[in-house]
Parts: sequence; structure tokens; C-alpha cells
Amino acid sequence: MSDPLDEPAPATHPATGLDDVVHQRVRLGILTIAHEARRVEFGFLRTQLELTGGNLSQHLGVLESAGLIEVEKGYAGRRARTWVTLTDAGQAALAEEIARLKQLIVRVETADGR
Amino acid sequence: MTAEPIPAGGDPHRMLAHVRHLTRRVRVAQRVTWLPLLVLALVTFAAIPFHRYGTQVLGCTVIPNGQVCEVRNTAAGVYWLVALALSYVAIAYGYLRAARARGLGGRVMPYVVTGIALAVLSSSGLLLIVHEGWGRAIAESPDPPNGLTLFLFRVVEVGSTIGMALLVLAWLERHLALLLFTVGYLAVVLVPLDFGWNAHWGGFTWGFLPTLLVRGGVLLLGGLGFALAQRPWRHR
Repeated sequence: MSDPLDEPAPATHPATGLDDVVHQRVRLGILTIAHEARRVEFGFLRTQLELTGGNLSQHLGVLESAGLIEVEKGYAGRRARTWVTLTDAGQAALAEEIARLKQLIVRVETADGR
Repeated sequence: MTAEPIPAGGDPHRMLAHVRHLTRRVRVAQRVTWLPLLVLALVTFAAIPFHRYGTQVLGCTVIPNGQVCEVRNTAAGVYWLVALALSYVAIAYGYLRAARARGLGGRVMPYVVTGIALAVLSSSGLLLIVHEGWGRAIAESPDPPNGLTLFLFRVVEVGSTIGMALLVLAWLERHLALLLFTVGYLAVVLVPLDFGWNAHWGGFTWGFLPTLLVRGGVLLLGGLGFALAQRPWRHR
């Protein structure tokens, strides 16, 4: 584990604080949809993100390992269903990622304006 | 892993646009806007017999321009409270069921809670007005009630509470069309245009009818309109 004192302060440059688990188009999409929907089914994610089932499963595995989502398997009638829910850590990570993206945009625009 | 992190240079705009796009798609997929409008239209039409046959005349007083009768309609008050509470429960069930069928969770609960809370507040407000005799005091007053008093009466009416709860739903769904519809509906409820209905429809026996028909009709047409507008999504 790295020493927190060695980490640069987020205020100095927001890009240094970006989390690789979240700062990825598909995983950011999964977190966004799960946040907005409260609870989302595997099939909806696959359709909206235009992924194969295997690819989506890999991304879900990364997020689940990081504790950002919970995956729940069940049945609706005879159909197997997989539901994804955002954890509190996932909510925080998504909010942090969006805040940092906005900071980056402000910094880039400020730099361009000089 | 097939998808790699996008390089930070120049991509925050794209990432945020991606987030906004997905957020909007989820909100659109969660909408079942026609359901509350149709349910509330039916509840409004079903109130007609309670308003017609539930009215009791408690007594009349002669005033310079005629007479003022004190009427009470407990049946309609109880009907609206029970019917609205059951309607919001049914709407919540329908929303969650539809969202689940589409592979999503629902976000309708704040609307339902607001709707029930407003229905309870409205019923309490109207009971207070009857209990304190404010309605009769205003009617017996030699001066006609001022615009603000009439407006406040309309605000605590059940029609307004339906509209205010719909405003919450429009905000939850970030639904501009529903917001515009609700503003129009509230205008119908709050603006005192009766085209002489009360004078020509038999006072307290049938005088309520045009108001309920217009409000129910607006909700019904809105529900049908949203059902038609949202239909293509279901077949996509």
C-alpha cells in the first residue's frame, strides 16, 4: 500500500487522482447506469453499452472485485437474471470521477484561455 | 480485457458526454408517464357519484342577495383521500413492474410519497376549513372574497395536489413535456374560469360536474398522448 503522504494532493492536478478502475469508458458507463437506475439487469447494460456478454462480465468482475458494485443472480420466471447494484463505495467513486473530469475540463479551458 | 482506459488528454468532455447520454437513456427507459395520468383521470371521473350524492345541506341563511346554504360532503372527502392513496400505491407498483420488465429499478417513490402526503395535507386543510366555518364566514360576508382567498382555496383543493405531485414526477424524470403538461393542468385547476357553470348547473347538486369533467378530461387526454408518444420505445 502506498503512503498517502507520497500521493500528490488532488488539487494540484486532478488527472493524477483518476482511478483506473473507474476511468474507463465501459466501467464508467456501468456505474452511471447503475446509479441512475438504482438496480440494473445484465441485458440492459449489454444493450446500452453495445458489448458482448463475455466482455461485460469481465468489466463487472473488475468492478465487483473493487467493491464498487454488487452482483445478484436470480430468476424471473424461468429466465435467469443478473442484477447489478451500486455499493456506497461505487457511488462515491462515480461522484469522484465526475468531479475530477469536470476539474480537468476547467483546467484545460483555463489553460487554453491564457 | 478488450476495452482499455481512454487516454486522459482531451477526453474528459467525451467521458462526461457519455455519462450524460447514458443517464438520459436510463431516465427515458424508466418512464411510464401515461400510467399516473390515466389512473388519476379515472379517479377523478369516479369521484362524480360521491360529489353528487354525498352532499348534505346543513342549513340555509338568508343574505341580502339571496341565501347561503351550509353544505358538507364527508363522503367525497373520504373518497379522495382513500382513492388517491390507493392510486399512488397502484402507480408505484405499475412503475416498478414496468421498470423491472425493462431491466431497471424504479425512481418513482418520491412522487408517490409526495402525492400521498399532499392528499393528506389537502384533506386536513379542507377539514379545517369546514370545522372552523371559514367557508360559511366568507360566503355570508357582505363583501365578495378577494382573489387571494379564492386562490388559496384552490391551492388546497385535491386537483392542485395532483398537479403538484406531477411536478415532482416531471422533476424526477427530467421530463420537459410532462412539466409543460402539468403547468397547463395546474392552470386549468387554479385559474377561475367556469364559463357560468356554477350558475347553470344546479349549484351544489351538479355544479361540481363541469370542473371534474374538465380536469379528468385533461388528465385522460394527457395520458393517452403520452401513451402514444412512448409507444415506439416499447417496440424498439
